[in-house]
Amino acid sequence: MALFRTINNHLHKYMAVPAIILFAVFFIYPLTQGVGVSLTDSNGMTVPHFIGLKNFADFFQDERAKQDVWNTVLFALGSAPLLNLLGFLYALVLDRHFKGKALVRAVVYMPAVISPLIMGYIWYFILQPERGFLFRILQPLHVGFANSDWLGGRSSALIVLIVVNVWQYVGMTMIIYLAGLQSIPPELYEASKIDGAGYFSTLRYVTIPMLYPSIKINVVTNIIGSLSVFDIIIALTDGGPGYSTESLSIYIMRELYGSFTGYSTAVAIILFILIIIPVVAYLRFMKRREFEM
Amino acid sequence: MRRLVVILKYAVVTLVSLISIFPFYVLFYLALSSPAQAISKKFVLLPDFYFQNFAEAWNVSKIGGAMLNSLIITGFALFFVVVIGSSAGYSIARFSGKFNSVVFNILLVSMMIPAIIITVPLYTLMRSIHGINTHWAMILLMTTNAMPLSVFLYTSFIKMLPREVEEAAIMDGCTYFSAFWRVTFPVLRPVTAAVVILSGLSIWNNYAQALFFLQKSEMHTIPLAVSMFFQRYGAQWNVMAAAAVIGLSPAVVAFLVFQKQFIKGIMAGAVKG
Amino acid sequence: MIKKFMSVMLSSLMLMTVFTAGCSKQPNTPAPAATAEKVHITFFTGKVETVDLMNQLIQKFNTENPNIVVEQEYQKDASNVMKVKFASGDVPDITTVVSQDYIDQGKYVDLSNEPFWSRNLDSIKALCTDVKSGKQYKVATNVTMAGIFYNKKIFADLNLKEALTWKDFVANLQVVKEKKPDVTPMFIAGKESWTLGHMIEFLAHGVIKQKLGVNASRLAFINNDSDKLAFDAPGGCMDTFAARILELKNGGLINKDAMTATYDNQKQDFAAGKVAVISQGMWVLGDLLKLNPNMKDDIGFSPFPSIIDGTKPVVLSAEDSVYAITAESKHQQEAKKFLEFLLKPENLKTYSEITKSPSAFKDVDADWGPLKDQATKALANAVNIPFTDTPAGFSGDDAGRMVQDLLVGKYKTTLDFAKAYKTTWDKAWKATHN
Repeated sequence: MALFRTINNHLHKYMAVPAIILFAVFFIYPLTQGVGVSLTDSNGMTVPHFIGLKNFADFFQDERAKQDVWNTVLFALGSAPLLNLLGFLYALVLDRHFKGKALVRAVVYMPAVISPLIMGYIWYFILQPERGFLFRILQPLHVGFANSDWLGGRSSALIVLIVVNVWQYVGMTMIIYLAGLQSIPPELYEASKIDGAGYFSTLRYVTIPMLYPSIKINVVTNIIGSLSVFDIIIALTDGGPGYSTESLSIYIMRELYGSFTGYSTAVAIILFILIIIPVVAYLRFMKRREFEM
Repeated sequence: MRRLVVILKYAVVTLVSLISIFPFYVLFYLALSSPAQAISKKFVLLPDFYFQNFAEAWNVSKIGGAMLNSLIITGFALFFVVVIGSSAGYSIARFSGKFNSVVFNILLVSMMIPAIIITVPLYTLMRSIHGINTHWAMILLMTTNAMPLSVFLYTSFIKMLPREVEEAAIMDGCTYFSAFWRVTFPVLRPVTAAVVILSGLSIWNNYAQALFFLQKSEMHTIPLAVSMFFQRYGAQWNVMAAAAVIGLSPAVVAFLVFQKQFIKGIMAGAVKG
Repeated sequence: MIKKFMSVMLSSLMLMTVFTAGCSKQPNTPAPAATAEKVHITFFTGKVETVDLMNQLIQKFNTENPNIVVEQEYQKDASNVMKVKFASGDVPDITTVVSQDYIDQGKYVDLSNEPFWSRNLDSIKALCTDVKSGKQYKVATNVTMAGIFYNKKIFADLNLKEALTWKDFVANLQVVKEKKPDVTPMFIAGKESWTLGHMIEFLAHGVIKQKLGVNASRLAFINNDSDKLAFDAPGGCMDTFAARILELKNGGLINKDAMTATYDNQKQDFAAGKVAVISQGMWVLGDLLKLNPNMKDDIGFSPFPSIIDGTKPVVLSAEDSVYAITAESKHQQEAKKFLEFLLKPENLKTYSEITKSPSAFKDVDADWGPLKDQATKALANAVNIPFTDTPAGFSGDDAGRMVQDLLVGKYKTTLDFAKAYKTTWDKAWKATHN
């Protein structure tokens, strides 16, 4: 009984243990194995040999891989800023009290609740030429672009993907900004009013700096999310036409399936590095700004 | 002038809402369309209210069974996520030490690692513990996935709570451990709501891992069942839409019910960064 | 206080055990020797169109054999999922997924000495024979064909004849475009890359296959014999194929939404009489007739036109619905029993009639469909070619995606396309031959 007492007294220090055990088994252990595999030419069939960094070298010489990096980066460059900007604007609009505010909030967030796979299928149906919903609506208007093959061109497909992605997740960004806005003490606004600051000055010198934590979270999440995009592209374009919208995650999956186990794991590691660089750079940048504050 | 601003604001809000709702409108429209209307090229505002689609989708896609699987897996996983995540968050927030900060940093960094790296070794691991096609292994895996975010949210929130909350209980003779469960945990309701919604959604919608580890059709979760259904039903959009509606209703309902808590939780947990 | 905590832990543990006991399903548990135990075998397939039919047959088998339970597992990406299954040891007992690489690694049971071969068509048996070892690791129950399906009514209206050369083929499409603006001359389901991959296998590779003959060409593909294949040769099959397909696109002879049109769209439009010509396999017939049963006398079937002047038209005549038993299966006897059941004449007949494809077994007389005579005529008038044995990492899907890229203008010249094709083929082939 005394032993139990002692354990109980110190238990609080180790409450994080179950979490880390679970994590170690189902994530860290496979991760280390994965890293090991990336240094071999494993392909699920023949005996693997250690080939050092050759997989990584091959990646930088492969045309399709380079295209995919380009696709992924473009997608992120298009999505992340738009998500943040629109999310912020929506939050500004919804910050005041008005009738039906909760409803609008729910409606804007709702798309994020739906599996991106299903969303992709719906949008595919909307955007199909000849048979899609958009065509049905636009046709009576007799506009030239009514029957465009939105998903059939290399750049238009990418633009569509960015638009759909932003549409789906802007609610998430908005909610975080809303939360941030609502935590700004009203005294700050009063003070700035007294100082004679106009709307935009207040925005710039009071609101936004107070939102730094929210901005950080949103930007980081959006960077990570858009660089690892998968479901929505598969559902809308399947990486096509050709490979023009194939993201790195999709490439990794296909290579994995196509018997290049070692190579695909190496590409996954490259993706990780691709994600870490902007995130770390951004956080450093923000730290400096906060310091100046 | 004031009135103009107000009208403008309402206009913007309405526009924003319409944009967000448009695909849902299309989805429901399709789900209630007759087969003829699904392939017609005319735009008609209201669908035919053809409810047979739902019956057909329900029967063929076996979505009832899939819903049960999804509920079991999500429910149990969330239980573990909340219990394990909150206790980890408590420990890390209150008792800083080498161990705790290492754990926290590992979890944080892992959020940036694309899950696809671990797919094949994970598959081998699951196979060796006979976890494929089982509920329990999937539950543990889903819990693991949700661990980083939930620990992060709980840690942030608890850090903001004054220590006096637990000190009072300690004075009464509790250990820090039991103080947590008795006193702190009930106060965590908002964060718990946020964790439940965010993790719950991602577990419910999980497709990539369910595809690998729940191969038998009787073990399929909703995303798998819907996806299988799509593959076999080709271009019968009306039935596919009905299946999709059935599949996403639990998530939507849960969100609507817990909305308020969820917002409060996000505010609490996320604002402090 | 402690009690409360303990009771919570205990109850959750109990709940857990209840669920693990009830819900765990363990695949491939080694069956004990006891005869009363049921043997579970898995049948793994990638053929979506036969899922219901197979379930029917499986139920029949399970009833007749109470101590064996067959379970069907369907995956859309079956050939890829198979890789994962092999890699992790979660191997099905009997499957439709067979590829040369797996044969080379001894993943399948040698079926050469089974009694059913005497009933199997010689040509099909030859296609199921592993060119490297001369043994049979798979057996095919049906013959499939692929060629040009055309709308007889439209052709009759415009006085068109079946085209055997590329020139005639394009001329036909041109007439359709001019005289019937509401009809799509040729409908390509470009969103689904496998249809484009097939076009390569038939139109492009057809040139190689007719030149070398069935067996020699199979060897050339499997051994990546670059001299014989010459993918990157200017004016060779890949270069010409690229030029021909661009010719169709630039001449407005294919559907405008070719890049996003699906297989379902193709079937729908053809069945509705809005399309003159499609490149497809006999497998499409069942669905076409389901969509429009009145169409059965209006569907025409002819060989693929030759894409290089001077070569002959080709038609695909290949094995379909193949089955193989995995070497790592723990229940080979039961799997064989199931296979024999599937090969019974009455089951073969049912299968043939429902899938609308001719049987590969001599003792099966099935009325498999309205195109029987036309198919026979096509087989007689054109060179019969098989599918291509593509390397494991470069499937028809992957090739199809390259064609998509071609159609949206990624390659500056058709020769660039040909060269890219060869590079990708070589890379994939080398990956499993190191």
